[in-house]
Amino acid sequence: MLMRWMFTAALALSGIGGSLQVAAADERDYMVVVNRPNNLHVIDLAKEQLERSCTLPGDSAPGTVAMSPDNRIAYVLAGRFGKIWGVDISNCELTFSAELSYDNVRVKSLASLAVSPDGKEIYTIHNPTRIMNDHYKVLDSQFAVYHAGDGLDAKPQRLYPVPRQINIMQTGDNGMVYMSGADVYAMDPKSGDLSVAIASRSGVRPGYGQPDILTVWPIGRVSNEFIRMYSVAKYGDVEKSPEATEYFWGYERVDLTTGETAVEDFAPLEQVLFTGMHRPGHPNEFYAVLTQLKRHDVKAKKVIKSIDLERTYYCINFSTDGSKLYLAGTYNDIAVYNAETLEKLGNIHLPGGDMSMATSQVFSAPVSRLASN
Amino acid sequence: MVKSLNSVVRRLVAPVGLWTATMLAPLYATAEINAGEELLRNRCMGCHVPEQNEPLQLSRISHQRKTPEGWLMSIARMQMVHGAQITSDERRTLVKFLADTQGLTPQESAPYRYILERRLNHIEDKQPQLAEMCARCHSEARVGLQRRDAGEWEHLVNFHLGQWPSIEYSAMGRDRDWLGLALNEVVPFLDKNYGLQKDHWQQWLDSEKASPIGEWRLVGSMPGRGDFHGVMKVIADGEDRYRLNLTGKFADGKSLRGKGQALVYSGYEWRADITLGKEKFQQVLAMNPQGDRFEGRMFLKQQETLGVNLTASRADKPSLLAVSPAFIEAGKSQQISVRGTQLSGDVSLGPGIEVLKVLKRGKNEIRLKVRARKGLETQALDVRVGEQNLAGGLRVYDRIDSLQVSPAYAVARVGDGGGSQEKVKAAFEARAYGAGEDGVNGTADDIYIGTMPANWSLAPFDQQAIEDRDLDFVGKIDRRTGVFTPAAAGPNSKRKYGTNNAGRMSVIASVGQGDNKQEAKAELIVTVQRWNNPPIR
Ligand code: HEC
Ligand code: HEC
Repeated sequence: MLMRWMFTAALALSGIGGSLQVAAADERDYMVVVNRPNNLHVIDLAKEQLERSCTLPGDSAPGTVAMSPDNRIAYVLAGRFGKIWGVDISNCELTFSAELSYDNVRVKSLASLAVSPDGKEIYTIHNPTRIMNDHYKVLDSQFAVYHAGDGLDAKPQRLYPVPRQINIMQTGDNGMVYMSGADVYAMDPKSGDLSVAIASRSGVRPGYGQPDILTVWPIGRVSNEFIRMYSVAKYGDVEKSPEATEYFWGYERVDLTTGETAVEDFAPLEQVLFTGMHRPGHPNEFYAVLTQLKRHDVKAKKVIKSIDLERTYYCINFSTDGSKLYLAGTYNDIAVYNAETLEKLGNIHLPGGDMSMATSQVFSAPVSRLASN
Repeated sequence: MVKSLNSVVRRLVAPVGLWTATMLAPLYATAEINAGEELLRNRCMGCHVPEQNEPLQLSRISHQRKTPEGWLMSIARMQMVHGAQITSDERRTLVKFLADTQGLTPQESAPYRYILERRLNHIEDKQPQLAEMCARCHSEARVGLQRRDAGEWEHLVNFHLGQWPSIEYSAMGRDRDWLGLALNEVVPFLDKNYGLQKDHWQQWLDSEKASPIGEWRLVGSMPGRGDFHGVMKVIADGEDRYRLNLTGKFADGKSLRGKGQALVYSGYEWRADITLGKEKFQQVLAMNPQGDRFEGRMFLKQQETLGVNLTASRADKPSLLAVSPAFIEAGKSQQISVRGTQLSGDVSLGPGIEVLKVLKRGKNEIRLKVRARKGLETQALDVRVGEQNLAGGLRVYDRIDSLQVSPAYAVARVGDGGGSQEKVKAAFEARAYGAGEDGVNGTADDIYIGTMPANWSLAPFDQQAIEDRDLDFVGKIDRRTGVFTPAAAGPNSKRKYGTNNAGRMSVIASVGQGDNKQEAKAELIVTVQRWNNPPIR
């Protein structure tokens, strides 16, 4: 069983981003990431080398990955936003497969994928459209629960109504599923009860405009958070005059252990950024990326350091101890940086094509399990 | 010469036995209906449900009206997305049939002709109800060039979201309840403003249609080449089909000569392919209901931003088309040509413009040497020849108060470079204005003087463009014509990050010298190729 689940309770008091994973002697960090046309790569981050590449049964887009809690199975939302595959990363065996579409209903999921704390259930969002002879009918979105044990032709076991426009999701230690939509929702997957965890569109802060949120990257496992960034206008006067308006980057966060939520502006809006997360073990440090890599002091709302990147990277992630960071997405190499200095340490080149909007997942796992013979 | 398009669809409403001799006259029309209905049965009925047999009504298809280009796009989608089987010939026949039986009237297409005329840098004045919800991916014109009732608009919304689920997740979709707004606000708005309105179409069908056969006199202008005039002769080549001969000349002395074919849809939508010298042009013109005027554009097929804005008048009817050049400086004398058809009677150019000499007096051109009195203020003058009047046809100016580059914002695209996509050029004009009575530039009473010859140059648009040295890479502007030619496609190892030749430029026009020098700027985005080029952007 993964260390994380054993240690979380003890670390709960450490608060924001504080639940450092403690690796056993045999363990080291690995990354799983998907690229075109149909590869799932397992990377040994200690060696910064490819451990193995598994072949997916179809198209890799969008390449959203969620790991099982024991980090044995990588679940991938791919197949043009319409399929979920489970791959045993020690041997590339396909353990799970679900085709979201059925009958004449075409179902797409926009990067919505999560796994229950006991590893038995897989969650996604169905955005169904009924395709008829001569017209389409958009149907209501649903929260769908699949059983991991249902094998290669899995069907949803439970379906609950949810609002439209949900993208990323993460499971809390208590089993609640946090979902990014107009607001951040909390879904109890046992009952289908839905509540608002963070009122975002429905709770615009006084003096602020509506936050704009783009995310398809469920990162944040290593910092124990559900995390999404927003950009927002803060008005200086009631007329909302442009001269008095300031623009900020901020984040909405749910602590996956405690369920505590936070909404925080962390820096002035200067450049476009795609993903950001807290540095494991450093709750006041928030990093974000696109054409720049930026390290922020959250309390001071200040950029500690910013560097120009050689190219754009969509997806940031950290080593479990927070010492290194990994930039993935867009093309087919992963850039490695020292998280403290933002000094570049190297690149890991992946066979195959673009990662595009794929999500990288970092976790620690026993070498004995994952190393090739 | 005059036939009723109604006869084309008469059979749809009248039993065959009631046909009179005159109704039967256009035989091709019957054939067209038969061919059209047969194609609908054979190519579309597999998915679209017959709702009525006489005349044939199919689900979805019979409840919409649109332009020929609109029908073409719908059918192309049936092929690409739904796998409908239809040959190119059959598709042409069906587009013609549908545009003739379920088209738009001249009034309905009028506000959006720029999109049909391929004015790719036209900046739309978008309606707030549509700007963000609909016209963020394509033009508002694509919406405004359709007529359908609420149920059909609702199907369209469902199709959009079903086909492109990211609509509600991308910018201007994710910040609102996109589907709710589309169904509850946009659909009623569209129903009200762009409803099926069958009666409008029926009135148009019932009205008498003119024939384009005969001789036409053309005037216009093209960025970089100046004013244009010409003659187009049109002869019949089958039902609604024509052959044409065109000769013409630009102000810069270059002449054009060639032949082409045309097809008329919906009783007025003229589409022609013409080869002039070595260049292939396309004409997209609308004939007025009286059948004595064409308005539209003739552009290079492979370089759509380069084209002539055209107005044409039937040679046997009197009209006053244009004055060229259309402006004169106060205190100066110059030659001008007054162009039109069947010109006769006294010429009047307005107070203060003195005719010094008549150099030529013809039916289609009157060439004059004129002088504008010193001290005249900038104003637009009505020009008259006999009964014919051209409001504001000649502008006199004492000075240029302001200059504007048109378009103010343009997009050019890199191309060639071994790739399959041609470069997309951009063409600019320098438009001169007088400040008007209030003496303030940029107000409603500004007086448009004309398009001035200018000196053209490029400058980096902003700090970013300076840092990236865009000026060295993006391409070149012709100093004299204002036509920008972008650089080659593909990565450029000389650039930072080995990126492509994209960039952001200011296009600068400069007119006059010394104290009278005026400058104006436009923004030019040089970007990568566009991989699809639908007939309605
Ligand atoms: C294989 C099935 C199929 C065939 C064959 C087919 N269609 Fe369709 N058609 C559809 C579907 C599905 C839709 C609804 C989705 C859409 O709008 O693309 C549709 C919608 C339409 C629409 C409405 C589009 C809109 O903008 O709302 C038109 C018009 C249309 N079809 C015309 C045709 C014509 C004309 C043909 C014959 C050449 C044809 N279709 C053949 C399946 C088909
Ligand atoms: C995400 C981009 C996007 C948005 C937003 C969008 N459209 Fe479109 N629309 C498209 C594309 C792409 C097509 C082209 C379909 C094709 O190739 O036939 C299209 C086609 C159309 C057509 C032509 C359909 C036909 O077959 O005749 C109409 C009309 C239209 N859109 C109206 C709308 C309206 C109304 C809205 C707002 C409610 C809207 N669009 C919003 C992308 C968009």
